[in-house]
Amino acid sequence: METLLSKLPDKHVLFSASFVVRVVLVAYGDHQDRTMEVKYTDIDYHVFTDAARFITQGESPYNRSTYRYTPLLAWILTPNIYLCMAFGKILFVFCDVLSGVLIYTILCLRGLHGKTATCVCSLWLLNPLPMGVSSRGNAESIMAALVLGMLLCMEAKRLVWAAVLYGLSVHMKIYPITYALPIALALRASQEGSADAKSIRTWKKFITFIGSFLNRELILFGIVSGGVFSIFTLAFYYMYGWTFLHETYFYHLTRRDIRHNFSPYFYMLYLTADSRGSQWLGLAAFLPQLILLLVASWSFHQDLVFACFLNTAIFVSFNKVCTSQYFLWYLCLLPLIIPNLTLSVKQGLTLLLLWFAGQALWLAPAYFLEFEGYNTFVLIWLAGLLFLMVNCFVLIQIITHYRPKPPPQRQKAE
Amino acid sequence: MYFELFFVLICLSKCYCLDREDDQEQCALLIKWLHSSSVSLEVSKKGFHREVTTTVDVRPEALSSGASVLLLHRWPRGVFVDPYQLASLSDHSNWEILLDSAIDLELPAHKTSGFSTYMFPTTPLPNILKFKIPVHGRYHESSFAGETFTSVHFEPPELLLRTKKCTDLHRFESYPVVNAPCTVSNSSTCSWFKKSQQQEGSSIISMMLPVGDGSATKLVCSGTLLVTVICSLALSKYMLKHRII
Repeated sequence: METLLSKLPDKHVLFSASFVVRVVLVAYGDHQDRTMEVKYTDIDYHVFTDAARFITQGESPYNRSTYRYTPLLAWILTPNIYLCMAFGKILFVFCDVLSGVLIYTILCLRGLHGKTATCVCSLWLLNPLPMGVSSRGNAESIMAALVLGMLLCMEAKRLVWAAVLYGLSVHMKIYPITYALPIALALRASQEGSADAKSIRTWKKFITFIGSFLNRELILFGIVSGGVFSIFTLAFYYMYGWTFLHETYFYHLTRRDIRHNFSPYFYMLYLTADSRGSQWLGLAAFLPQLILLLVASWSFHQDLVFACFLNTAIFVSFNKVCTSQYFLWYLCLLPLIIPNLTLSVKQGLTLLLLWFAGQALWLAPAYFLEFEGYNTFVLIWLAGLLFLMVNCFVLIQIITHYRPKPPPQRQKAE
Repeated sequence: MYFELFFVLICLSKCYCLDREDDQEQCALLIKWLHSSSVSLEVSKKGFHREVTTTVDVRPEALSSGASVLLLHRWPRGVFVDPYQLASLSDHSNWEILLDSAIDLELPAHKTSGFSTYMFPTTPLPNILKFKIPVHGRYHESSFAGETFTSVHFEPPELLLRTKKCTDLHRFESYPVVNAPCTVSNSSTCSWFKKSQQQEGSSIISMMLPVGDGSATKLVCSGTLLVTVICSLALSKYMLKHRII
């Protein structure tokens, strides 16, 4: 480990090198798109660009079918039309590297040595997955940067900035809404007196518990993040009307995509898509997700980073729709918790291998269904269930091997 | 004076008659070409993403004398084309396509309806024209009759021809005439001669798509819920046990 650390370059070299590698990938992607039949660029990138083109023509980005994002994204990408088609990719690549920088800064704030932080940070920066995703033109890196930025501001106690970034991130994609409870509990806990007399009656305890949410920090956070979210939502509702609300939020909330995906619920929802009981099944599928999110938020709100990681991983694994880009939502938080894991390198690699094997076992029947036309629905269903079990096993291993490093130190710092 | 007027009128009617004769001749030619032409459809690749090849055999003189060709595909609801994919492909292809309706890329087959495409060849080509377009299968309602596949049938496209010189198509009552867009820009409608339906010998083209097994619904539901409940219980147990206080 020591030799590995000494061989690792300076953090500035790492940051610039990872940016250069990504830009080279963008250039290569352009070459592949022009010369080969299999395109490098993500289909979503064309969706964003088409939506941006509608904006430059003074029309609604939702004229582009399957554009299901905030108009803000299409607005940001209008230079794709005015300047150069690759503008968006460069922006995504920049956000990707920025996420790496944010991971490094958060790690240092959490008391990690600079060299070790560089080493852990390189897990993100030199990882082919985020590299490929951002250089292919997928916008997930913007979310990673926003969420990591929010966590950094929370760690650094810059509450207003954290709230602004949080409001913005929920506006961009709704999944960070699952962080609301751990954030609320964390802000409550930071002001909570540790001496809760045991003799107090239950109902009084309950009232004190509710009352503890009414503190300045939490109210400030709520007002600022809610304000940022509402300003964007109202502005875009005013501009694009009901379509905006439907495509950006309600579609994702009520999404019933019956086509095959990583979700354990896929086959069940496909088979029952038109039956009368499907509403109840939808609820039955939603309950475990909700309960787990509550339990995770409650159990780990003292360590906000860990709680957010668990919430995201649970949300994605137990969601009714799950595609591989969702994995990035929690993978960008993984480097933040790795230093606190007491797993050996071998154990860690085994878990990683298990996770990849789970995906491969799903991908094989999915390929045969989609491209070869075999009826592999049952296999995909079983592989989806197995992948859920693998995810849960990995999460349990992470939970049992997680050591929150210096909780007393954090309290001293206040 | 009267004589001059009479002379002019005679000339005009003569011209008109000549025009009509020319028109009639062109239309007859068009019908002849249409009669000798043939259209066939072929579906290649497997699974949900297919390639449909339309082969048209038209007399070379039809194309050289400026006749326009249009292929009208009527697609079943079990498939869809992605308009954006077609738009990006048409830059490197020998066709341009116009759709008759907006297409939802995500709906299952039983919640949508079929649609038509108007395919215009873009480059003057030899007499046999081949057009390839990507077509995607939709998910289908799961089967409760124990069937694991459903078939989607394709109709061969209608071949339509017109020339600017043949204007009065409706006089040829024996031949079907349809109204369709003149060009891919869809700014005006023209009358086209339609090739009468394909010969009976041509076999039905179809593709098979896998469908879910509805008879396993109960098993799948209970299995799914059982596994998710066990997983959530195990996770909850460990989270509560190792919670950070």
